[in-house]
Amino acid sequence: MKKIMFIAAALLFSATLWAQEPMMEKNLAKLPAVTIQTLDGQAFNTQDIQNDGKPIIVSLWATWCRPCIAELMAIADEYEDWVEETGVKLYAVSIDDAKTSARVAPFVNGKGWEYTVLLDVNSDFKRAMNVNDVPFMCILNGNGEIVWEHTSYAPGSEEEVYEILKQLSKKQ
Amino acid sequence: MKRLLQLIMITVLVAACWPTQAQHQLGSSRISGDFGFNGMYYIPDSLIGADAVDSKVRANAFLNLLYSNGGFSAGMRYEFYQFPLIDFEKLNYKGQGIRYFFADYKNDFIQVTAGNFYEQFGNGLSLRAYEERQLGIDNSLLGARIKVTPYKGICLTGVWGVERLNFDSYVGRKDFVRGVDGDFNFGEIFPKITEKGFILHVGGSFVSKFDKADDDVYITVYPEPDVNTSAVIAKDKLPQNTPVWAARASFGYKGFRLDGEFAQKMQDPNVTNDFIYRKGNALFLSATYSMKGFGVAASFIRADNMDFRSQRMMKTNSLLFINNIPAINRQYSYQLLANYSYASQPNSQIGVQLQVNYQIPKKSKIGGKYGTDLTFNFSRFHNIDKVWTPEALAIGTMSGTDGYTSNFFKFGPDLLYQDIGFEVHRRLTKKWELTLAYNYITYNLELLKGHEGIMRGHLVAADVLWKVAPKHSLRLEAQHFYTKDDDGSSIFGLLEYSISPHWFFSVSDEWNYGNPDKAHKLHYYNIAAAYVWRTTRIALNFGKTKEGILCIGGVCRAVPASYGVGLSVTTSF
Repeated sequence: MKKIMFIAAALLFSATLWAQEPMMEKNLAKLPAVTIQTLDGQAFNTQDIQNDGKPIIVSLWATWCRPCIAELMAIADEYEDWVEETGVKLYAVSIDDAKTSARVAPFVNGKGWEYTVLLDVNSDFKRAMNVNDVPFMCILNGNGEIVWEHTSYAPGSEEEVYEILKQLSKKQ
Repeated sequence: MKRLLQLIMITVLVAACWPTQAQHQLGSSRISGDFGFNGMYYIPDSLIGADAVDSKVRANAFLNLLYSNGGFSAGMRYEFYQFPLIDFEKLNYKGQGIRYFFADYKNDFIQVTAGNFYEQFGNGLSLRAYEERQLGIDNSLLGARIKVTPYKGICLTGVWGVERLNFDSYVGRKDFVRGVDGDFNFGEIFPKITEKGFILHVGGSFVSKFDKADDDVYITVYPEPDVNTSAVIAKDKLPQNTPVWAARASFGYKGFRLDGEFAQKMQDPNVTNDFIYRKGNALFLSATYSMKGFGVAASFIRADNMDFRSQRMMKTNSLLFINNIPAINRQYSYQLLANYSYASQPNSQIGVQLQVNYQIPKKSKIGGKYGTDLTFNFSRFHNIDKVWTPEALAIGTMSGTDGYTSNFFKFGPDLLYQDIGFEVHRRLTKKWELTLAYNYITYNLELLKGHEGIMRGHLVAADVLWKVAPKHSLRLEAQHFYTKDDDGSSIFGLLEYSISPHWFFSVSDEWNYGNPDKAHKLHYYNIAAAYVWRTTRIALNFGKTKEGILCIGGVCRAVPASYGVGLSVTTSF
């Protein structure tokens, strides 16, 4: 049994690594297609995260994660200006599970955030994105390709996000 | 069993290799993954209770690989926990190998998964297979899952699998889980409902475990007070199949939202409920209302005999849980509250939780330029009311009988946990931010921790952020926890300097100055540095950790006292 396991793993490894070589350079990764939920319980495919060819921020967060909230609050202060300048749209994907997911909507409204909030209660999107810990943030260009990824939050790092957004909107 | 596993393995393999042939046409194949390493060099310190350990250098490590191509994906995780951190050693999460692998195909109509998978039905009262890596929980099922979406808004799921048990072999297991779930979102089926602003969502699930009864169970009975003798529950009296059904509904209109789920478990005598034959049940209700700048969330939970596991003899921590009874209390990240965090009691709890958020508007007189966030929180949990049945009274134990009866809405005699909390957050200027918090916590040490008595304590905390320069910031956290009970009062301070986006440095100290035992008025200091580059984080720390509990999502595990140097690396690619 162990041997089979090992061979299976080895094959899977080599098959996948071999497949990777020619692909990586050519195209940037896009978001995986995972079914999560909107705040009102509708099924939502993460490939439908779109913004008419303008840049997108995707943030993975949770109501119990302090740096996540700090980051989203810092952006909230600038968000109006960012939207005006770059047309950006921020999707805040909460990984709160059944225990706290009912509190996401009141929380977001309480903070007055203008983001599009989605729920990943079974952490399916988190796993598909290979995210270890939140906060995790990525930026997509107008073609929906991931151009920047980042984990953890330090006050002020939203400036880097802003710089990237400005570059992306210039390219259009 | 063995053959089945091999079959699954071969399916995964074939499936994994097949799309590599097709990638040239599809051109969307992608490999990604993540890696984590968490190691520590332990220094013994008898005063804090950090005993000498046989291997001083220990580490947890894992590698996830994920391959995807269009609707197809396959993945695996290799874990190396051969010499795990002592917390994991104590959970028996020790070993190495591949305990997670899967192949998955999905289109708009169907999703088929073979191998390991995570799944949740409704709020998880009947089934929740999930992973919480920091707690050493991985309840993934090894088997197969099918999800069908015959019509927009309808989702039907079927699962079959054997639950993971640490690094133990699946071979020879005599238990498995199977279940079905139906989810109907009327707002999607009849778009008119959504157009009018309503949410209407219902669902139901049926989950059943099979656990072969090979052995009789020995129990203690008390024919007279102070006299005990052992008795037997014969193996043919132990139910091998235990079903749980659950029904749920959500209703919403504009800012209002009501959610509820009720579950019932059939006879399941097991070691956690003292082998009673009583049926179990759980009710979870939540009501929320929110509008711009204001939100209120209230929830209720009652769980009676709902510890539902793959094996009736398992009682260790969170091992082999099939369902999950959520602990609905608010989670705090304050260091000094970490030791008094509520853990869900699936066999006996009834409680409420209320949270109110309000934002004093921006640019108002009181709210200031940036607005002020206020949060109020209240939660209270009791055990449930229990009256022994005449049969149980007659033999002096609940074991082997129906055990007890319970008044559904009556709070039991023992308070388990209460939290009254208030928090203010305000950005004062472009450079200064302030959070102040107060909590009054009541915590039942006897029922939640096995010590004696009730702990009552007050926490006052302040968190100040100063943006020194555009990319430099300094954060100060100061906390005081005042109590006459348990380990007594403590004070905690933390200074964190960060240079965005790469560097973090912190020093902290927790001083248990009020410990009734003079020798234990100790300092628990910590120095840490971390470097982050994109999705890679490297952190180094040195210091002491107080013995306590770590809780994530209402599930907790014991953290032994430790002293030493730690290194942690995580990355994803």
